Amino acid sequence: MTTVSGNDSDKTNIKATMEQAVRSEIKPGILSSLWHYARTFVLLPLGALTLGACGASTVTVEGSYPSPNIPPLPMTLGVYYSDALRNHVYTERTDAGKDEYLVNSGASHVELFNTVLPAMFQQVVVLNDPAMANERGVDAVFIPNIDEFQLGMPQKTRLDAYEVWVKYNMRLTAPDGGYIADWVMTAYGKTGQETFGSAEGGINDASVAAMRDLASNFSISFTNVPEIRDWLQPRLQ
Amino acid sequence: MRAKITMAGLARTGIYLIAMLAGGLALVACTTTTIDEFRQGDTGINTGESIVILGRRQGAAYETREEFVQCVGERMGRGNGAITVVPEQIFVDALFPWFEPRTAPMRSEDLQQLMAQPLVTDKMAEFGVRYIVWLDGQTETTNRMGSISCAVGPGGGGCFGFGSWEDASNFEARVWDVSSHTAVGTISADASGQSYVPAVFVPIPLIARVEANACNSLADQLKLFVQGS
Repeated sequence: MTTVSGNDSDKTNIKATMEQAVRSEIKPGILSSLWHYARTFVLLPLGALTLGACGASTVTVEGSYPSPNIPPLPMTLGVYYSDALRNHVYTERTDAGKDEYLVNSGASHVELFNTVLPAMFQQVVVLNDPAMANERGVDAVFIPNIDEFQLGMPQKTRLDAYEVWVKYNMRLTAPDGGYIADWVMTAYGKTGQETFGSAEGGINDASVAAMRDLASNFSISFTNVPEIRDWLQPRLQ
Repeated sequence: MRAKITMAGLARTGIYLIAMLAGGLALVACTTTTIDEFRQGDTGINTGESIVILGRRQGAAYETREEFVQCVGERMGRGNGAITVVPEQIFVDALFPWFEPRTAPMRSEDLQQLMAQPLVTDKMAEFGVRYIVWLDGQTETTNRMGSISCAVGPGGGGCFGFGSWEDASNFEARVWDVSSHTAVGTISADASGQSYVPAVFVPIPLIARVEANACNSLADQLKLFVQGS
């Protein structure tokens, strides 16, 4: 009987034994144990080698966001998505400084704001250039941006969860570019490790949770930002 | 003669296996569950009314698992006196952004404020929600002991050893009456049990179904509570 260990000859033995076991229909318990050890000593190192050889994995955040149930403000809002927001990619690096994951959340952020803003305002106009605001007849221009994006990986944080923190800079300007408000918002999302099958899935779900957190907080607190409240007051009377 | 000995050996092995399985089943059932109920108001539910069960997820240390919330809902929605339970995710999405971890009402007084919003009242009426049940709690695993070693080779394989751990589930269900905007009661379920995995060639997991028992007991009690029994 060969004791399971991590060396190459034993790995070959395990593979051969597994094939033999499948052929001769050995009891499921033994098969399960064999699978466990094959996974631990053969498949995982192979997987790690493959990952190492392929470089960074790209995670394009995909999710759906519900429309907020709040009364819309009677105004036309222009929204400008900068290239920095549209093409936002966060790079998670290993301790050795190598790129490990590229989290592409730009398109998902645009989708999020395109869902949330039409529920918050009577009319929303997407602007390709904030300078076009006057001719499009909007009351104000909203410019969201991502200041910081952080990812908490279970192997680094020692927690059973993937976590995402995002710090946003929100700006509201008059159609002529004049200052109305400039404020910071943060969002947090996490996914329990048991709810997903891969690191990519965990990163995606935690990112979607963070963006959902932003959407809920933004839609409720927008009119509570002091500068916006002051600006809105005469318009709502 | 040789054949007789083999038959006797087989019979003995069979008896041992049956004894182990019977012992195992007894150990599987070894879970203690305590239910406490605190009633603050009258309850009752009419035909066409429903309830929604939501998990508390505000805490940094833990979140009430979706699976547990779903388990309680499914149990309440079947059997004698089944109650219509609105699925958590459908309700939370439909009432976005009012029941998100950061924005959900923490006290029954907050519900009154929330129900002042016509859009929220309309959605609640659409679902026919009479009670909101907030579930808060978790299952913790402690006292992990023992070890199991397994080995395989060309001639076969097997495991030897013994492992055990203890699970403790502590859940609390707070019931809010949507029609009166008040808290009508709290039910808590505490369950604990020890799981074992003896391994002689083959590991035999004897798992205490602690969380499942907490779910079943809590759901049964909640059903009676909501019906006003």
